[in-house]
Amino acid sequence: MIASVAFRNFKALRNTSLRLSPFNLVIGANGSGKTSLIQALQQLRALAKLPLGDPATVTRAGGSEISFAFDAPHLGVIARLGCVDDAVCDLLRVESVNRADWEEVKVGLATMRSYVFDHAAMAAPAPRESGARLAGDGSNLAAVLARWQRETPAAFDQLQAELTRWLPEFTGIVVPEDAGGVVRLGLKIGDAEGPVMADNLSQGVFYVLGILVLSFDPAPPAVVCIEEIDRGIHPRMLRAVRDALYRLSYPAAMGETRAPVQVIATTHSPYLLDLFREHPEEIVITQKHGHEAHFERLADRADLAELLREGSLGDIWFSGILGGVPEES
Amino acid sequence: MKIAFLSESPADEAVLRVLVEGALKEQPTVASAGYRARGWPNVLQVLPAVIRHLHFNTDVDTLVVTGDSDDSPVHTAAHDAPQYYHPHCRMCQLRAVFRQTSKRFPAAHGRLRVRRVVGVAVPALEAWLLCGVEDSVNEAAWTEGQARGILPYTRAELKLKVYRTERPSLPYEIACAVREAERHRRDLRRLEYDFPGFAALLRDLQEPIPEIS
Ligand SMILES: [Zn+2]
Repeated sequence: MIASVAFRNFKALRNTSLRLSPFNLVIGANGSGKTSLIQALQQLRALAKLPLGDPATVTRAGGSEISFAFDAPHLGVIARLGCVDDAVCDLLRVESVNRADWEEVKVGLATMRSYVFDHAAMAAPAPRESGARLAGDGSNLAAVLARWQRETPAAFDQLQAELTRWLPEFTGIVVPEDAGGVVRLGLKIGDAEGPVMADNLSQGVFYVLGILVLSFDPAPPAVVCIEEIDRGIHPRMLRAVRDALYRLSYPAAMGETRAPVQVIATTHSPYLLDLFREHPEEIVITQKHGHEAHFERLADRADLAELLREGSLGDIWFSGILGGVPEES
Repeated sequence: MKIAFLSESPADEAVLRVLVEGALKEQPTVASAGYRARGWPNVLQVLPAVIRHLHFNTDVDTLVVTGDSDDSPVHTAAHDAPQYYHPHCRMCQLRAVFRQTSKRFPAAHGRLRVRRVVGVAVPALEAWLLCGVEDSVNEAAWTEGQARGILPYTRAELKLKVYRTERPSLPYEIACAVREAERHRRDLRRLEYDFPGFAALLRDLQEPIPEIS
């Protein structure tokens, strides 16, 4: 969907660009630009819904600009965001040979979703009618699952089967609805006992459910951004997390026929990074030096093969050789 | 016999279990915890702790460890000479860790030491899985390619041949890997002949458990 993003004077991203793959795992120090990348995509999504700006006014002298290029079949489209300051972008200029191309890109952008899961919000009961699409913090999780159970039972069953494979202590999902149309979430632990309701489930269970909802979404968005994808999840389960995200980006590899979903995920886990040894092209490192940050693709590192002979990717990242580590005073 | 595995993934462990069962012609008791390392050289780093734990805290008598050779030097018969140790050969390195770790252990749980069973897949476990399916895939072909500076295949190519995708899900990877391992279980001779790194594992498995005399 999105082929590349270039930043000029946007927060710490003074002058840097990034080529995006179908799947992208972004690593780097805190405050190094991982979230800025996702915010830029959100700004693009928001502005793409509005009428286009006047080309003359988009580029302000000294202002921030973020430009986006797109994958085939929309290679000719460039979208440029003009920003009031380094946080608020309010103008969009589009260069497109063919107007219809931009209209198609817009349709995809409108589906884009960003997630920062909040386990407390995910545990809360949710109104039945709120379950059309998982909210950015996952707060309507119960309603989404209830809706899947009613309307797309095949997807619900797939998710449930995968959940019980990841967390074999559970045997299924329950989403009872009260008289007021509020749905609660619980997990079954066998036939003899009643389900464990959300209040008593551990944090990691909600993060797992959030990832599975994204992975098995019967109508997935064109682009999904997920922050801290490893959070609350046992390191031995990170392979399953990777598989769930690959299921979105590379559906054919999992025997699926739907369109690929572009995934941009962030992590601080060296253990998750270890799992990308064979696909360094999917790793983006945000490098921050002082107040300026830029992006690097791990695959562009000329000595990568030699480095990988000496240790795991996660350990090599932790060592600082790859950059993307906090600066020390 | 009570056996434990130290491997890089559940898929690797599943393959090793099938191959070891095939060699033993019986179902060994398998220690419940599957011990894991995060690739090379992490396996060398965690192996001493795993050996120590098994020796003192469990009644496991056999530890099976394998690694992929990647592009490290391949173990040869010359390395088996007494006192010989090749510093970059992974078979030599794994064996040395066993030797050094348990050298001063007192006997425990009725045995002198946990029996060492070490194999090295050249260049990766997927080569073992392709043995008998792809005639060109064998340890000699790899060693010869290393000597000529032109490798006959890459690890990625081997994986693609086994899984038919670059990104198999874990359950699918396990299913493919176990299917090929089951093919070998019935008759391990071809794998033993084509892959000396597997033959070494079989020989270790035939050694007696070090008993208290
Ligand atoms: Zn050797």
